[in-house]
This record gives sequence, structure tokens and C-alpha cells, in this order.
Amino acid sequence: MSKIKKWFVYLLFAILVVTQIYPLFWLLMYSLKTNEEILSGSFFSLPIVPQWHNYAEAYTSGSYLKYLGNSVLVTTVTLLAVIILSSMTAYAIARFRWKYGPYVMLLFLLGMMIPMQATLLPLMIIFKNLDLLDTRWSIIIPYTAFALPIAVFILSNFMRSIPTDIEESAFMDGASVYRIFRSIILPISLPPVMTVCILTFINIWNEYIVAATFISSENLKTLPFGVYTFVSQYSVNYGNIGAFLVMGALPVLIIYFILSERITKGMVAGAVKG
Amino acid sequence: MNVLKVPARTIAVFVLPCVLLYIGTVFIPILVSFYTSTLDWNGIGDAKFIGLANFHTLLFEDNNFWPSVRRTLMYAVFSIVEIPFCLLFAILLNRYVRKGSRLVTIYFIPVILSNVILGQLWKTIYNPTSMGGMLNGVLVQLGLESWTHSWLTEPAYAMYALYFVSLWQYFGYHLLIQFTGVQNIPDEIYEAARIDGAEGFKADRYITFPMIVPIFKISVVLAFIGSLQAFELVMVMTGGGPAHATDTIATHMYNMSFLSQKYGYGSAVATFLVVFCLIITVIINFIFNRVERKVT
Amino acid sequence: MKKTGKVLALLLAGALTVGLTACGKSDSSSGASGGSSSGEKVTITFQNISPDPTTPAYKIIRQLVAEYQKEHPNVEIALDTLNTDQQKLKLKTQAASREIPDITMVNPAAQMKPYVDAGLLAPLDDVLDKDGLRDTYQKGLLDYYSKDNKVYALPDGNNIEVGFYNKALFAKAGIDAPPTTFDELLADVGKLKAAGITPIAIGEKDSWTGSFLFMNILLRTNGGPGFLQDVVDGKKTFNDPAFIEAVEAFQKLVQAGAFPDGATAIDATAGGNMFRTGQAAMFFIGTWETGSNDASTVGKDIGVFKFPTVNGKGNLDEYMLAPGSAYAVSANSEHLAETKDFLHFFTSNYPKASFDMKNAVGLGQKVDGDFKTAGYSSLAIEILDMFKNIKGGDLSFDNTMNPAVSQVHLSSIQNLFVQQVDPKQVAEEHQAAFEANK
Repeated sequence: MSKIKKWFVYLLFAILVVTQIYPLFWLLMYSLKTNEEILSGSFFSLPIVPQWHNYAEAYTSGSYLKYLGNSVLVTTVTLLAVIILSSMTAYAIARFRWKYGPYVMLLFLLGMMIPMQATLLPLMIIFKNLDLLDTRWSIIIPYTAFALPIAVFILSNFMRSIPTDIEESAFMDGASVYRIFRSIILPISLPPVMTVCILTFINIWNEYIVAATFISSENLKTLPFGVYTFVSQYSVNYGNIGAFLVMGALPVLIIYFILSERITKGMVAGAVKG
Repeated sequence: MNVLKVPARTIAVFVLPCVLLYIGTVFIPILVSFYTSTLDWNGIGDAKFIGLANFHTLLFEDNNFWPSVRRTLMYAVFSIVEIPFCLLFAILLNRYVRKGSRLVTIYFIPVILSNVILGQLWKTIYNPTSMGGMLNGVLVQLGLESWTHSWLTEPAYAMYALYFVSLWQYFGYHLLIQFTGVQNIPDEIYEAARIDGAEGFKADRYITFPMIVPIFKISVVLAFIGSLQAFELVMVMTGGGPAHATDTIATHMYNMSFLSQKYGYGSAVATFLVVFCLIITVIINFIFNRVERKVT
Repeated sequence: MKKTGKVLALLLAGALTVGLTACGKSDSSSGASGGSSSGEKVTITFQNISPDPTTPAYKIIRQLVAEYQKEHPNVEIALDTLNTDQQKLKLKTQAASREIPDITMVNPAAQMKPYVDAGLLAPLDDVLDKDGLRDTYQKGLLDYYSKDNKVYALPDGNNIEVGFYNKALFAKAGIDAPPTTFDELLADVGKLKAAGITPIAIGEKDSWTGSFLFMNILLRTNGGPGFLQDVVDGKKTFNDPAFIEAVEAFQKLVQAGAFPDGATAIDATAGGNMFRTGQAAMFFIGTWETGSNDASTVGKDIGVFKFPTVNGKGNLDEYMLAPGSAYAVSANSEHLAETKDFLHFFTSNYPKASFDMKNAVGLGQKVDGDFKTAGYSSLAIEILDMFKNIKGGDLSFDNTMNPAVSQVHLSSIQNLFVQQVDPKQVAEEHQAAFEANK
């Protein structure tokens, strides 16, 4: 009886593997088809003749490497900024004795659900006056700022759950707050920091609207521009888009699979008071 | 447990850079939106102050607004209803599969792929029979031809088709969160429970559920954020159509601000969204504070 | 304590701003800088909507830019290439901060008006008057880009809407000639449907496509052009019988199953590709699609016809007119003189470059050269002949009405694809939107 139950559960998990991994397979097939094959719309079909040249075209005409480099740079700076800024604030909220802590938390909670598009126009005006338009800062700043609320939320939750004795004794020994933060708190907080990283990452890696609005120079554009390179006014080259999407998703998948163990551990690690 | 007494200067160093960046980039633009919501302004030319007229139109005359709010809320409800199922799967995964985290990694894939990809994929699934849609094809194979529909273009079904894609996409997301939560419960607690005669779902009832409440809260919050910001997937798959049948608050705001070029009016929608978020945040916190007090 | 905190906050805010500004400046060294004297290095930003490297438009822009830069080593033309939707959004956002690129692209008439009213665009009459550039444009075309007798943008094309049809599929359904009346069109739809062929390709997710087709019917039922203008001028309302008749006729087309299932989820491009892959028999679209239709796998089977008369009304030689997107110059450009000089070069050489790339059907300017000997297809030549006999026509809805009314119209027409609505109600909806957004 229990064996049947077990096999039933296994079957369930196997079906889910198929449904959740299918998009990757589908995308790969898509990227190797001709426009006609794609538009005939069949779901399971394999490409008749694999169109490898889709990759060559996507690679050359989509400025893949340049865009990839920009994406990596922007993402790295954003992640670093998010981690540093949010962990410091989260620490202050979780540990410092001051009366504005809860208000700061509330301030961040308020902004947590606001979509970026809502602020496009005011940001344009602010960035123009700061002379930031068409610089990498013009996307790094909104990416960072919009990632802060959820980061502060997750990190402060975690930091509250860390036992206080270590810090207290370190404090007694005369260690500065900065030192405690850097050499005790940050290392312990690595799991939730990973969580914050992945959440931020999936939000900004594919982001297009903000980037397209604030960036004009070819040299600063990020990967999503490449996808839309192939979407022109009256014609769409689907196979090329597919190839570009595969190449765009590749770095994400690689990073994800390398880090996945940590990510699974890190997701909200602190929220359970063990 | 706010234990560290530190000088104001230190607090400032820790908090101000973050808060200032946040206020400057998120909050000030929102305040600007509050202001522009009182204008009759196309976003380009001269603006005229019209007080609360935009809000009056929005709340009482706009036939597309309340339905879009309802759809956004439904989006949230569906997303939240999914979470207990994810918890169930997390528990099963933890119990029956040795390297559960490997599976979780795979289930997470749809989350990291771009919505442009997922939108195109699901379109080929939902397409009408004449265009080789997979779902309809399966229904025909099963002899259920009367059940076939043009899923994305019949107003009665289109929105549900979109909810379903989101449920599918975020299944791995919430599963990951719940799974970590379940894994982080120390084994000793279960051991102790077993000695007391609590095993299987009985143990879940008294140990897993109470201990997972904080994780649940994070999932719920993330689900709400996802629902309120439901934009990209809708734009890719239906563009809010047919005839606004799949508009959400976010797409309505976008349409008004940029397509109809009623920027002031779009700002009124944005303002509503902010207030809406505020209310929801308060509600979530209230509910979870009660639940937490009850179970612990 | 409280006071010092506040002071500190202010100081930090200031420091942060300065810091950011500094970073921004150092990073933007590639952007525009310096004065406008001729020897100095000048960068002109050229926002355009031709991102697909396989299209002639993409190649022409790059070819002409390269030529110009060769002649003017001190000038750099920085291309900001976006897809159409994104460019529209970006330009609107930029306009709000009054910082639009040196050269950008706008649509004619009503869509251009807000930018002109806000004083963002520079008049281009001096460009047109140099070397007789004005005379290369087709008669009357520049009117769509003018306000108060000044021209604010130079169009890249001038197209009309026609019906393309697949001769092979028509033959398969037993139809020997394209329809000349709406009843024939309905009958043909029935025959094609019976033969298992999608009668009319459309991608109604981009709702302008349905509207563009609908406006043909209105052009006919109104017995000629000018319906929307009459509404704007207060001479007619949307409750006019001509409009209701047009909605009725359009609904008949939908009811007859003329369009693909699930049309409202199909992108405009995917809709076009249904026709170009031989899945659909007809395609009502602007002549800008001539080249891609020609180049498709069913290219040799494609013919063209004029939109039929509806209930005996209308003139076949009146068309939906589609003056193209147009190059406009920022009034606040730091390098106005250089920008205008480049635009003059660009528009003067555009026709020739287009002709050479076989992209000269629906050009806004006159072009020298024999299309036949240059190897243009018979389809292209047939369409060029149609151009010669144009008796007039209407602009698309969103080029005539303001954006708010246009959006209501677009979604109202989209709705006709998915449900049957009383035509009077459709008219009422339009009229209400028009009055609310005057």
C-alpha cells in the first residue's frame, strides 16, 4: 500500500519535471527551425533541418558579446549595491536601539509592491537633471532601488533570528559595530544574501522597458535589446529570436545550476526559528 | 531584540545611503505621480490642474477599471491558493526523495526564463485547433471536441488561461521557498514527536505547519507582488485584449499613460495602486500576526 | 541630537547627489558635448525603428550614415535603434522631460500634433528649400506633416492599403477573380472557408490592423473620404448611418468566419506570415508589405486588388492612405545646423538608395529609374500603377483622432472579433469617447 503511494508520488514528480523543463527543450527546438515551421505552430515537432545558422546570425547581428558584457556589468554592480545597502539597513533595523527602526521598515514595505513602469516618467526627469541619462547608472540605480524593499525585508527577518550573544560579547570586547557587521553578521547571512541575489537577478536580467527608455547608446545596451533587435516594424525573424533567447538564457542557467544548492539553502533560511 | 546602542552617526552610515537611494528613486517619483494625478496632462504639452477629477472618473466612470482591479485580486487569490499545494509537495519531496533539492532546481527553471519565451510557448499550447494548439489537440484526441476553445481570445476564458500560466511558472518558486522552510526544521523535533506517537501528517499538523508560518508569509507577500505587477506576461500573450478582457491594474495604467496619452489619468491609476498596496500590506501583516500568535 | 540628524541627512543627500552626478558625467563622455562650430567633434543621435538587419530599411540607414560620416569626419551619427512600440514609449517619456533625440521618428497628423504643440520639433522648411528637396516629395504628402504652414517632419514613405490575394488558393476554392463588391467578398469568404482555407489573414493582437481594415469599409459606406474629419469638425457624429452601416458590414465579415480563429491573440507580424506561408488567402494591408510578400514562398501566386465597394457605395480608386513614419528634428538640439545638414543629405539620397535595394514601392519621394528593367516584380509594378490613379482617401483612425479616442476605437473594433455587438452601441461608445476627450 505504502509502496503504491510512493510510486504515485514519484510519478507526480516525474510529470512535473516534464512540464517544468519542457520550455527549455521547446526553446531549443524553436531556435533551430525556419520561420515557416515555427508559424505552422505545431507543438511537439522537431526541426526538419536544424537551422544552425540562426545562431550564427543571432550571434553576429545581435551584438551578443557586447550586450552580454553590459548585462553582466550592470547586473554585478546592481547585486553588489543591493547586498551592501540592504544588509546594512537590515542590520540597523534588526539590531540597533533607535526609535525610527520600525518606520524605516514600513517605508520599505510600502514600496515593495510598486511596479517600475509607474515611475518611468518622473525618473526620466530626475535623471535628466542629474545628467544621468544614457549612462549605466540610469539603469543600475532603478534596478537597485526597486530591489531594496524585498531585500531589506528578507535580510532583516533573518538577522532578527541570529542569536545575540556573539555580538554582545564582541561588543564587550570593544569590537566596533562595523567590524561585527563585517566579520560576524555578513558571513552568517550568506544564505539569505544568496536568496536576495537570485530574486534580484531574475527581475533585472530580462528587464527591457526601463533599459530601453534610459539607454540610447549602442555601447551601453543590455541583452534584452538583442531580442528586440530582431523584432522590427513589419517582419519578425523567429528562429533568430529563439537562438538569441537561448544564448541569453545560457549564462543564467549555468550560474543557476552552479549556485542552486546554495540558493535552495538560502531562500528565506532565517525565517524558520529553529 | 534591538540590543546595540550605537551613536546616531553610525545609524546614519548604516541606513542613510540605502534609504536615500530608495526615497530618491522610488518614493519621490511616486510623490510626483500623486501630483500629476491631479493634472489633465498628455505627458508632453501643457498641463492643467483639475483637482480630483481624474479619481472621480477612475472610480465611478471608467468601465474598464474595476474589472481590472478584480482580475488583479483574482490573480493574487490564485497565486496564494497555490502556496498550500506547494507546501504539500515540499513535504512529500522532503519525505520521499533523497536529493529533493535537485528536483526543486529543475522546477525552478520557468522562473528564470524570460516572459517573452514563456508567452510564446504558452501561445502554441493555447492556440485554436486550426492553428495546431496543443491543448485543443489533446482534447480532440480524447473525443472532447466540444470542450475546445480559443483559450486566449474568448473573454470568458482568456484571463483564466493567463492565471494558469502564472501558476505553472511560479510553482517552482513557491515550492523552493516552502521546501527550504521544511528542510530547515530540525530533525530532532520530528524525532521527539515520533516518541510521543506523532508521525506522518499528524506530525505535520503539529510541527511543520506552525513552524512554516513565517515562510508562508514571505510566499504570500511575493505572490502579491507578482500579481500586482502582472504586466509583462499579459502584454506578451494578449496585450490586455480582447477589448480589455485581460487588463490588470498594471496594464491599465500603462495603456492610459502611454497609449491613450492621458498621463494624469494614468498617474491616478498609479496612485490607486500605491494605496492599494498599502492596504494589502497592512492586511497581510495583520493576518499573519494573528496566525503567528495563535500557533506559537 | 534630532537637529544634527537632520543636518546630517541633508548633507548626505547632497553628497550622494554630487557623487552620482560625478559618476554620471564621467560615464557619459561619449554623449553629446561641445559647441556647434564646424571643425569640432559633433555627435548626432538618430533614433530609428529599423532594428532587423535583414530588411532594406536597416541597410539603407547604415549605408547613408556611413557615407555621410566619410564626408564629414567630425560628425558622428549615433543610432538608437528600437522596435516601433518601444520607440513610441521612449519618445513620449523623453518628451515629458523635453529631451528628445536630435533626430527621431513621428507619425503623421494627429500623432505628431502633441510634439509640435509642445514646441519640441524644429520646422524643416529650410532643409526642404535647399537644393529643391521639397519638389522631390509627392504632391500634398508634406501637408500631413505640417502645421501653420511649416513642415515638421519628412516622411520615409507613402503607402495605400490594398488587398493582396493568393491566386492558387483562390483557384483551389473555385474563385476566378478577386471581389469587386462586398457581397462578392462575403461569397468568396464562404467558398474559401468551405475549402478549408483561412479567408483573410490578420494579426488583431495589434489592434490597429483590424481598424485599418474597418476604415476601408467606412470609406466606402460614407461614399468617399472625410468622415472622421467631419466628426472632428462637428458636422457629423459617430451615430451617422454611414458609420453604423460600416460596423454592420464588418460584423458580417466576422460572422462569415473571414478571420483566423483566435485572431486577437495573433501579432501583426504573425498575421502577415499566415498569408505569406500560404495559410490564408487574402491580406488587407499597406503596400509597405509588397517587398516581403514578393519575397515569400508564395510570392509568385500573389495578386492585388482594390477594396471592394460596399452596398454599391464608394469609389474603388479611393484608398486608405498611409503616409509613413517621418524623420523629425529636436528644436532643442545642440547641433541643429549639423543635424539638419545630415537630414538633408539623408532624405536627398534616400530614394536612390531605396530604389537600388528594391524597396521603392510606396516611397514618399519621386525616384528616377525604370522599375521594370531594375527587376521589380510584376506585383510591384501593378501596385505602382495603382498609385498613379489614386482619387483620394482617408488617413487611419489614430492619425485623425486623438490618442484617447483612438484607443477606445481600437478596443471597440477588437471586441467585434470576439462577440456580436449592436452596431448602434458601437457607435454610441465612439461618440461618448469622442465627447469625453474633445
